[in-house]
Amino acid sequence: MSRRIAAPIASRLANRAGRTLEFLWSAWAGFAALFLLAAVWQAGHEAYGPFILSSPQDVLSAVWRLAGDPKAWSLATLTLQRSLTGFGLAAVVGVALGLVAGYSPATMRVAAPLITVLIGVPPIAWIVLAMIWFGGSDATVRTVIVVTALPVVFLGAAQGIATRDRNLDRMARAFGAGPARRFLTVGLRQTTTTLFPALTLALGTAFKVAVMAELLANAGGIGGALASARTNLDIARALAWVVIAVSLLIAVEYTLVHPVKGEVDRWRRAAQPWGVKR
Amino acid sequence: MTALSIDALEHAYLGRSVLKDINLTVKTGEILALVGPSGCGKSTLAHVAAGLLDPKSGRVRRRYRRHAMIFQEPALLPWATAAQNIGFGLRLARVPRRDRANRIAEAAAKVSLEAGDLTKYPVELSGGMRQRVAIARALAVRPDFIYFDEPFTALDVALRRRMQDLVISTCAFAGLSGLFITHDLHEAARISHRVAVLDTRGAGILGYRHLPGAPGERSRGTGSPQHSPAIPCSAISTTLTRGRSHELRSSNAGRTRGADLPLGTGVR
Repeated sequence: MSRRIAAPIASRLANRAGRTLEFLWSAWAGFAALFLLAAVWQAGHEAYGPFILSSPQDVLSAVWRLAGDPKAWSLATLTLQRSLTGFGLAAVVGVALGLVAGYSPATMRVAAPLITVLIGVPPIAWIVLAMIWFGGSDATVRTVIVVTALPVVFLGAAQGIATRDRNLDRMARAFGAGPARRFLTVGLRQTTTTLFPALTLALGTAFKVAVMAELLANAGGIGGALASARTNLDIARALAWVVIAVSLLIAVEYTLVHPVKGEVDRWRRAAQPWGVKR
Repeated sequence: MTALSIDALEHAYLGRSVLKDINLTVKTGEILALVGPSGCGKSTLAHVAAGLLDPKSGRVRRRYRRHAMIFQEPALLPWATAAQNIGFGLRLARVPRRDRANRIAEAAAKVSLEAGDLTKYPVELSGGMRQRVAIARALAVRPDFIYFDEPFTALDVALRRRMQDLVISTCAFAGLSGLFITHDLHEAARISHRVAVLDTRGAGILGYRHLPGAPGERSRGTGSPQHSPAIPCSAISTTLTRGRSHELRSSNAGRTRGADLPLGTGVR
């Protein structure tokens, strides 16, 4: 009995280890792209001088100096916390509303123009409004993130439900599933195709908007640090903060979004065995 | 004993009547094939009978315990392995988790799926394998009635025959009742105990045809002589085709409705 159970567990672990290694191995392509960017950056630095564009090496040493400074850590954590809470809020509300709209065409028809309006209003206008409402606080940054990221998540979830395979719904119904179980067993899973790209986009937006809102609302965090670097005309430090913000985004994306996506999309990889690159 | 009876059923789609005056019974232990030209509402009738659609009027009485359905496209969950797909109905039927593995293995064995295939995802399986998984999923819930909604239309000839044999051995010989929707008369003649013909416009059942012998014993007449059917399928098909071409197109289609179609009056 124990052997019958042990065998699948061992094979499952081996399978998972294989997938993890393959994922890590694919990072080489990412590094290649980053080094290419660094080369172009270095060329720009050599053409225009350090005052316009600091060299990648100077920026990295600035990052290193900041990494040893506890104050910098608290600034980065503040931005990280604001982006993640804003993103979480946008994700929860956006997914909930999107699912409702996906199932109800009437809701979708009412929501679509509102979404267009939300997308059309520039984030900077929301920053101005949120500053008046909440001052230079977390609430300002979060509000702007939610307002900018919500439409993307909403559309992703609604699209996933609206374009679901009706045959699967019918099949589940034939096997006696009521509306709630059809949604849980068949509908929800199908939203991932459109929802995950939307969530990745929303996460990126959350970080960008957080830094921008902090800079304009003078609310501290990485945005605040960028503002002070600008005042001091310290290009290396400004770029160092940009590098830190991007690294935070990459870290969150690859520890939060991609593992979940990999788990959910396992079946897609089944059609794409080792060594087959697309 | 009737497993399914449909009385004076009418169904309309967007205000247009699709099915009208449908009276149909399926006896317990009988596979009834429902044939008719495409677009006459066969599938709709099966969906109404299975409770996937609500009829406009009329009655559907289901006297079986549990039904399952096999669709034209396998309708497998792409993110679930073959075993998980077979277990889908069990999950919905709230079969305890510890019993599911045995039931899945039992159903997979009936349709000759190997253990190695059970861990594969539908994208890794061939068309025939996918349909086998769909059949296993239906059998796993241990139904006493199965709806077949043109299940083998998309398969090639050889594969279709193998799948028909599978249905004959697992359903027709296992005492299950069923409603088999098809537009292929040979398929109907191979699999069923009785054939019903639906009107082109869905206005009633034009007639029934009792087939002598047991499912699977009738062939196209090209088989070995000792297994040659008492009535060649070509005779049935000509009868049914005649019925279709004459009865369905004429306005007084109700003339022979409900009566058994005469045998051997085929136009030659």
